[in-house]
Amino acid sequence: HPWETVTTAAMRKYPNPMNPSVVGVDVLDRHVDPSGKLHSHRLLSTEWGIPSLVKSLIGTCRTRTYVQEHSVVDPVEKTMELKSCNISFTNLVSVDERLVYKPHPHEPHKTILTQEAIISVKGVSLSSYLEGLMANTISSNAKKGREALEWVIKRLNAEIEEFAASARGTMRSSMAAAAFVEK
Amino acid sequence: MNSVGEACTELKREYDLCFNRWFAEKFLKGDSAGDPCGQLFKRYQLCVQKAIKEKDIPIEGLEFMGPSKGKTENSS
Repeated sequence: HPWETVTTAAMRKYPNPMNPSVVGVDVLDRHVDPSGKLHSHRLLSTEWGIPSLVKSLIGTCRTRTYVQEHSVVDPVEKTMELKSCNISFTNLVSVDERLVYKPHPHEPHKTILTQEAIISVKGVSLSSYLEGLMANTISSNAKKGREALEWVIKRLNAEIEEFAASARGTMRSSMAAAAFVEK
Repeated sequence: MNSVGEACTELKREYDLCFNRWFAEKFLKGDSAGDPCGQLFKRYQLCVQKAIKEKDIPIEGLEFMGPSKGKTENSS
């Protein structure tokens, strides 16, 4: 898909069925810098599949985790960069992710995504096992992320189609009304 | 999509509608002048800041700036 489509979809990525754990997205700050790039700082609230009995005992506040995301969109150079890090459980683990979306250099209707994640688990003797587990999760999440954007793009196209169809319907009925009046 | 503050979800939706339209129809096409969503953003922001404080969410290193356009403020 072209870069503009992917970037628009990335801004509206949640909710989507591939990321059911993301339950809230908020914009903490947004501004266009002097060079014309759009900066957005967002807070993502996630809720993992904790059994509802446990949740009712300990309360949802304790099962909620948060991720902070900073994105920069450059409409001239056509790049979108997203950096995110967890702000919950930072004493245990830190996951820093970086995604960059750019137009494909040879195929202008395609977009290239580069994605990297740095995971570190702190002060736990099983750290290399946990890091390996997280690396697998993040790599399968990367695939999910691409599927999620495909889903969002399909929905955006359906929205546009719906809007166009209702606009055509409105035009037809006003043309019919005008023709009727003219008679 | 909900907001972190339950009370802010409606304000968030209004702002999101405005932003998504501006982003796709203006910003990505090279027209970043004008900020049609400023007022909506301010109202939404006040609500979110309150919710974040109440829930004690550890947001780091972020001054809540609101929808500035990177203009430098000259104080005399």
